[in-house]
Amino acid sequence: MTTTTSHKATSYQRSAWAFLGPGAAVVVLVLYLPVLYTVYLSFTTYSGLGSPVFAGVANYVALVQDPVFVTSLVNTLIWVAGSLLIPVGIGLVVAYLSFGLKGAAWLRVPFLIPYALSGVAVGIVFGFVLQNGGALSQALAFLHLPGSETRWLQEAPLNTVVMILAASWQGIGVNALLFTVGLQSIPKEPLEAARVDGASGWRLFRFMVWPLLRPSTTIVVGLSIVNSLKTFDIVQAMTQGGPNRVSETLGVSMYRDTFSNSDYGLGSAVAIFLSIITVAASVIYVRRQLAIGDSSGDTASKDA
Amino acid sequence: MKIRRLLPVVAMALAASAVLVSCSSSTTSSATTGTLNFVNDKSWDFKSFSKVSQKDIKVSLNSSTYADQPAFQAFVKQSFRTNKSPGLFTWHTGDQLDQLVKQNLVADTSSIWKKAVANGQIAKSVEDLYTVKGKQYCTPISVDDWVMYYDKKTFAKYGLTAPTTWTEMMSDAAVLKKNGIAPFWSSGGDPWAFVWFQILLAGTDLQLYKDLSTGKASYTDPKVVAVMNVWLDMEKKGYFSDPGSKTAPETQMKDGKLAMIPFGTWYASTIDQVGLKPGSDWGVFTIPAINPSQGKTPVAIETAPACVAQNSSQKALGLKYSAWWMTSEAQTAWSKQQNNLPYNPKATAATQTFVDAGKELATPGKYETYLRYYEATPQVILTEALDEFTGFMTNPGDPTKYLEGIQKVADTYWKSNK
Repeated sequence: MTTTTSHKATSYQRSAWAFLGPGAAVVVLVLYLPVLYTVYLSFTTYSGLGSPVFAGVANYVALVQDPVFVTSLVNTLIWVAGSLLIPVGIGLVVAYLSFGLKGAAWLRVPFLIPYALSGVAVGIVFGFVLQNGGALSQALAFLHLPGSETRWLQEAPLNTVVMILAASWQGIGVNALLFTVGLQSIPKEPLEAARVDGASGWRLFRFMVWPLLRPSTTIVVGLSIVNSLKTFDIVQAMTQGGPNRVSETLGVSMYRDTFSNSDYGLGSAVAIFLSIITVAASVIYVRRQLAIGDSSGDTASKDA
Repeated sequence: MKIRRLLPVVAMALAASAVLVSCSSSTTSSATTGTLNFVNDKSWDFKSFSKVSQKDIKVSLNSSTYADQPAFQAFVKQSFRTNKSPGLFTWHTGDQLDQLVKQNLVADTSSIWKKAVANGQIAKSVEDLYTVKGKQYCTPISVDDWVMYYDKKTFAKYGLTAPTTWTEMMSDAAVLKKNGIAPFWSSGGDPWAFVWFQILLAGTDLQLYKDLSTGKASYTDPKVVAVMNVWLDMEKKGYFSDPGSKTAPETQMKDGKLAMIPFGTWYASTIDQVGLKPGSDWGVFTIPAINPSQGKTPVAIETAPACVAQNSSQKALGLKYSAWWMTSEAQTAWSKQQNNLPYNPKATAATQTFVDAGKELATPGKYETYLRYYEATPQVILTEALDEFTGFMTNPGDPTKYLEGIQKVADTYWKSNK
């Protein structure tokens, strides 16, 4: 190594930093500082007026002692499971069944359109459909079908389930699209070879398509876990977490504590808790998936 | 070496924040004409009203309305830390006003009140709602009494008249129920879940109602439980509309499915929107007390304050507007636009229905006003109570667990806020 090359590298890096600086500054300013501030707030008592007062771990203690916190956590986990089962599951089915069909692109359009709506709009529309005496109840009564008296949004866990279905109506399309892209990127040769060997139907899917689709599945499932942990808008629009907090998710609890009760400390504690489990879930999941990918399908040796 | 590399980054970050800071500086103005920034949580037609004030005092309103209550409050609270705090904003009296005053964030309006009371523009009893530690803050846009709106056509159809006692009201309800009409409107959630608790509790024991809001009484008091059981009894008789329905009460009334709606006098402008007319379609009566031995009949009041931020660059303009809004000219124009009952006795109500209601409510010695539950109850207890009442309405049954839920929050609150 001569001094010249080292000098060159340094000056190159220096100008790189100069270019990187403004971007990095903005990220620090609008992303990391607010996170740090939220961490700080979670250890204080603060009503949004005046100055925060340090309170130690009191907010975290209050949080875990609140029985509604458990309800909220359970509902959030139902959302995670439900979002994996329905929007991801059906998204895969839609993508796989329509793949290679003539005019499949047009077939997927109706599934994709709802994704253009905001979660709040979906929530308000489905709120009117599912309210007591709403469109669904009226339709069921008109057709003399059972269920017209069901209080869809007022009984737990039914309300969480129907809200997941409403969210699925919106989410299936984009998952199907991601899976379609994944299916398109699978090389044709191994599939043809499998077909020649006599694989078809379920066996072809289970042993050929599914393993080859793993990169897409990792993305879709990872996104789904993160998004469902953060569920807020659709619940806030449809039930506000009610009645009497039975359909609350962690996102809704955070909003209620922070903005309805002006208890910024407690709200921040919920936010931090939620962030930790979200980051933990994604890191664990993605690392596991990448580890599987690294061993080129040789799953037997990786767990050693 | 590393530190030197980091230097430009840090410098950039500082430069960026300096730009942000310099963007937000502006100057304080003491102008008394012009455009006043008005942040509010009311869907009222301030645009039309702005034309009246523009003509009268050369001040127009630049109104921004927030539909979501928590978002509105968070915005206003955040704005105090900047010099963009509004020249005028709507707020709530009671605990929420106390919070702002405690931090010295709202402008003192004592001199405006002194003049208004001396000129007979407003009742002294309203002043109490705006008084914190002997000084006044904010001024009222409107002061509303809670009355019962009833469907005149439905009442006529079944030969009913506006009740004057609780017993009469209950027998009217029985007739309506028998004919498949929901007698009373009731709704869960924020904000309206408190309505029947308020009517029943204040109508039974106004002192107990007041003691609950100041932490002197407990929600688990047997007398409160008894009131909840009256509510439960009405629930079981089917006297309420579906609390889970999102159909607006005026629409339910228009469809002939609902007969009575308890609301403040501000509701007139809302009920008008579905084409129901005062006098021919709907009328109002004062809500009778359950327990007539209380003497005076309790009437809930609420008031919509307009406040001026202490550090606002438009403070002078805001205070000028506040004072003007209380005058009989402004109140007559406001009442005409809103179809409500003006609080200024020198102003005239826009409809005969409210002229009559105003006269009735002014009968000496007959009525006693009290602050509505939504303002009278501290915020955290209110949030919990609205949830618990919604739970109670959704699954009517033993009220004990709901009351215990509220009291648990109340205990924590009063321990640190005595």
